[in-house]
Amino acid sequence: MDVYVAGVDIGSTMTKVVIHNGTILAAIIGPTGPEHRRTAYKVMLEALAQAKISLDNLTYVVATGYGRLNVPFADKQVTEITCHARGVSSIFPNVRTIIDIGGQDSKGIKISNGKVINFVMNDKCAAGTGRFLEVIAEALGVRVEEMGELSLKSGSIPKISSTCTVFAEQEVTSWLAMGTKVEDILAGIHEAIATRVHGMAQRVKIEREVVVTGGCAKNVGLVKALERKIGYSVLVPSEPLLTGAIGAALIGKEIASQAIEKGTPISRAERRLAAVTFFDESASRGNQS
Amino acid sequence: MVKAKRNIKKKPWALGIDIGSAFSKAAIVSNDNGDIYYHIIASRGDYRAAAKKVAEEVLKRAGITLEDIACTVATGVGATSVAFSSIQVTDISCVGRGAQYLYPSAGTIIDIGDQASRLIRVDSEGSPTNFVVSEKCAAGSGRFLQLIARVLQVDLSEIGELSLKSGRPTAFSTNCAVFAESEAISRIAEGALKEDILAGIHKALAAKILAMVERAGLEKDLVIAGGGAKDIGLVKSIEEAIGVALLVPPEPQIVAALGAWLIASERSTTNQAESLLR
Repeated sequence: MDVYVAGVDIGSTMTKVVIHNGTILAAIIGPTGPEHRRTAYKVMLEALAQAKISLDNLTYVVATGYGRLNVPFADKQVTEITCHARGVSSIFPNVRTIIDIGGQDSKGIKISNGKVINFVMNDKCAAGTGRFLEVIAEALGVRVEEMGELSLKSGSIPKISSTCTVFAEQEVTSWLAMGTKVEDILAGIHEAIATRVHGMAQRVKIEREVVVTGGCAKNVGLVKALERKIGYSVLVPSEPLLTGAIGAALIGKEIASQAIEKGTPISRAERRLAAVTFFDESASRGNQS
Repeated sequence: MVKAKRNIKKKPWALGIDIGSAFSKAAIVSNDNGDIYYHIIASRGDYRAAAKKVAEEVLKRAGITLEDIACTVATGVGATSVAFSSIQVTDISCVGRGAQYLYPSAGTIIDIGDQASRLIRVDSEGSPTNFVVSEKCAAGSGRFLQLIARVLQVDLSEIGELSLKSGRPTAFSTNCAVFAESEAISRIAEGALKEDILAGIHKALAAKILAMVERAGLEKDLVIAGGGAKDIGLVKSIEEAIGVALLVPPEPQIVAALGAWLIASERSTTNQAESLLR
């Protein structure tokens, strides 16, 4: 019998769901938005439809990412560090270092024999995260998706003197006013993020093979800038956003197989696809104080 | 005006210019009666043009021309763009001297500008003896307030009074101005009050100032300068955080320009008649 498992990765910016039964049956990526539970529900429904199964067919669901506690239909929560490591190792078994650059954070994960041995994380400051790219993209009037390709046309890379996203945005505006080319500014921005992320990841000592994941790994200009810092080429999964969700699904598969082997039943009574109330106002107010 | 013209023959006039990232300020103190003439305009990214404009206006207000000025001191991030200045002096020195000119008892100055916050310890002459600058990160500067005011669609001049109405300041989970901006948007979507968010930002900024106080120490009297000092909510939050009352100048934004004037007036023995507004 096929064991269907799902991994749900609620990131700060994007939510990803992977349904797996030995191979990936469905993979859906959608924006997270302010209401995690509603997003989890929506993206899960889409993934179930793609896999042509229902929630009851899923033997096990693992939630991960920053919003992992807001998945009422998950059987278990696992940190994104563990899930990323697992997901990346399944694609690149020789990985030693993962550099994950997400929408609002960045991480360096050190792996030995498929296990996490150390990690560093920045979620305190927008510099060195996808948010930095978004802010600059808006200031330059380009789409985030086209930043990478555009920056490759740069002939000279200006140096951004500000670390802070807010001040860098102002710096970029004044360069535009001075007539600096957009592609050159973008190259400077990629250089700045690469410097920051490299400095952070170096704290766990970057070793080959290096795999770059997260939404920012789709930016070829940033990846090339990182390669220049590291000194050799890095690996990028074909879908760098999905590694956390894939890892979560694989961890779910392991737990489910063990349970089936031992004959222990997996209770799904607590699972709720749709949360009773999507937006619990009293609860969210309570969080503020 | 005529009187002023006569007086310049006795004692030369001086001009202080402070070109900040957001605002440009100019100050002249009258040779007749000690009246302070000043002008403040937005820098708008063109420091050179801002310097010329703000100087022309303050000269007009003082009833003199640039030819009457014996020495001009420029300070601030755009000091090098002041084509007609005699010398450039650091903002630390100018803020210190300016605050001491207004309050001879000043021992420490907190300066909250657009891109940086500074804590400056001064001696009895207003000369800096120690200072700390927070300029790496917008979270410690007046820019943070500007960002949040924009998100909340509140005029910068209103945020102070509005924040005083807060009963429950919002606690932000982040120190980063960029992340706090999105957090403020989410909170508003959830129905949070603007005053609570502003009070929360004031508390966050006050905590940054407290950290600077802990590093450089504090000596009374304490003067607050810079655009941030115009925000009564921020002033009160800082007072609460550090437990010391603050002296707030009537126009806190011109403290550095005033210090620049003071330094210029001490050096105004050299003739600068050949300098022209270029």
